[in-house]
Amino acid sequence: MLSIKNLKASIEDGTQILKGINLEVKPGEVHAIMGPNGSGKSTLSKVIAGHPAYTVNDGSVTLDGKDLLSMEICDRANSGLFISTQYPTEIPGVNNVEFLQMALNSKRAYLGLEPLADADFKKLCEEKMAMLEMDDRYRDRGVNDGFSGGEKKRNEILQMAILDPKVSFLDETDSGLDIDALRIVAHGINQIMSPEKAVILVTHYQRLLDYIKPTYVHVLRHGKIILSGGPELALKLEEQGYDWIEEN
Amino acid sequence: MDAITRIKQLGMPRRNNELWTFFPVNKIQAPEFPSECTCDEDFASEDDFAALLPIACNARQLVKTIADDENEMAMLKCNNDFGRTVLNIGKNAKASIEILDNKVMHEICAERFDINVAEGAELEIFFANPANDLPLTFRHFDIKQAANSTVHFANVLQDSGIGRISARVELNGEGANFDYRSLNILKGNASKHQRLTILHNAPSTVSTQFVRNILDENAYASYDGQVVVGNNCSQVNSSQLVNTILLSDGPSVSVKPVLKIYHDDVECTHGNTVGELDKDQMFYLTSRGIPADKAREMLTKAFAKELFLELPDGAAKKRLMQAL
Repeated sequence: MLSIKNLKASIEDGTQILKGINLEVKPGEVHAIMGPNGSGKSTLSKVIAGHPAYTVNDGSVTLDGKDLLSMEICDRANSGLFISTQYPTEIPGVNNVEFLQMALNSKRAYLGLEPLADADFKKLCEEKMAMLEMDDRYRDRGVNDGFSGGEKKRNEILQMAILDPKVSFLDETDSGLDIDALRIVAHGINQIMSPEKAVILVTHYQRLLDYIKPTYVHVLRHGKIILSGGPELALKLEEQGYDWIEEN
Repeated sequence: MDAITRIKQLGMPRRNNELWTFFPVNKIQAPEFPSECTCDEDFASEDDFAALLPIACNARQLVKTIADDENEMAMLKCNNDFGRTVLNIGKNAKASIEILDNKVMHEICAERFDINVAEGAELEIFFANPANDLPLTFRHFDIKQAANSTVHFANVLQDSGIGRISARVELNGEGANFDYRSLNILKGNASKHQRLTILHNAPSTVSTQFVRNILDENAYASYDGQVVVGNNCSQVNSSQLVNTILLSDGPSVSVKPVLKIYHDDVECTHGNTVGELDKDQMFYLTSRGIPADKAREMLTKAFAKELFLELPDGAAKKRLMQAL
């Protein structure tokens, strides 16, 4: 499904952040990526999505065999990639619901489908908002405008639910969430997940993985995946930190 | 001294005149004046060509009065050949004035508004005319506000010619409030100039000047805003803020805020930003599948609409939002 091979990327001043990432993600899998701050976790999601601040120096990223790196940013999304960044951007003046409708209809146009009728979109939106226990305040406001950290994360999962991507790359979705919000957001992600889809979770803590069971856990450090394992790896990291990996 | 005599005395505007620093004065041809000026006011102290021109060129004058305590919002459409429109807004009255495009007179399209706002009155005055190709337009506003009066002045400029809006506002009574919001959406060789002078002549007066420019191709916008706070005018609050988005490498903008403050107990601010569309916002929208050209349009529109969000709900806000 998502295949990342020897991915190397740098920032404008030439500093290489990703130094050869390899990752294979199959349908139905949940991959958790953990690692110390500054190891390249957030950069990985942005590079895959096409953020202009990064230059890909080597490697490939394909989604269902399509070369993502040669696509425009919007086409990567419309092909089935969704990324949620650690700090979702605020866009005052762009209505949250109108933005969602525009995004969904852009995807439908890309796939050769007619735009969703207003009434059908409203129904879809209400259904997904109810799943995430979101109230009407989200409708009238600008995209993430004035939202708390937790509200932003919930709004990200709403977008994921409506856009229905094949692969979702969620960067620290659990940060800024209180205990109840974490449960609701994790429940939402589990609801969206299906055997045809995959999720990559970036997290620092086991608490999110208590709700969303990972198939694989990877440790990213110094721009490379240095260790992979099953769910038990996350528990060990929670207990012992990262230093033991380098010691071994 | 009548307007024709005074304008001939001053001569045609030149770039070395500070009032016209930013304006392409070479585009102004000397107009043919009527044989006599029918307006008998004394203009000996008026030194602005744009303020004199409508009086000197056009004999016709419209006077509109809204009576004291008239609470119903009145819509006046000043779409005419009048060189000058005088608006008298009575005590505690409320008025809503939309200005439509006037017709070309001589080689220059020019009009002047003299607006007197009595104590406690509220006025919203606005225009959002569709793009047109009038070669040269001048609009001058002379506004005098009494105590506790409020004026919301808002406009959208998107025509392609050369234009200048000038306003001289006197806040003469305690608690008077003047709010100016202007949006320039310009491309081609459009060139728009705004020159405002706000005179805080009484304590506890408030003025805001918010200008936003969205410029493309070879467009040019300038803002020259002066705020004067008189002595004995405490607790004055004044803000000037100009935000510009340049959509390509061709357009340019000039901004000149001037503050003359003769009292310590005041709060006066000014600011200016020039930039491109926010890259993170562009990335966010496109990363959700929205094509770049559509994302650019959404962000530009959001930038524009934000300017008018704080206007009170009414005809002006509705019309300006519709225009966008």
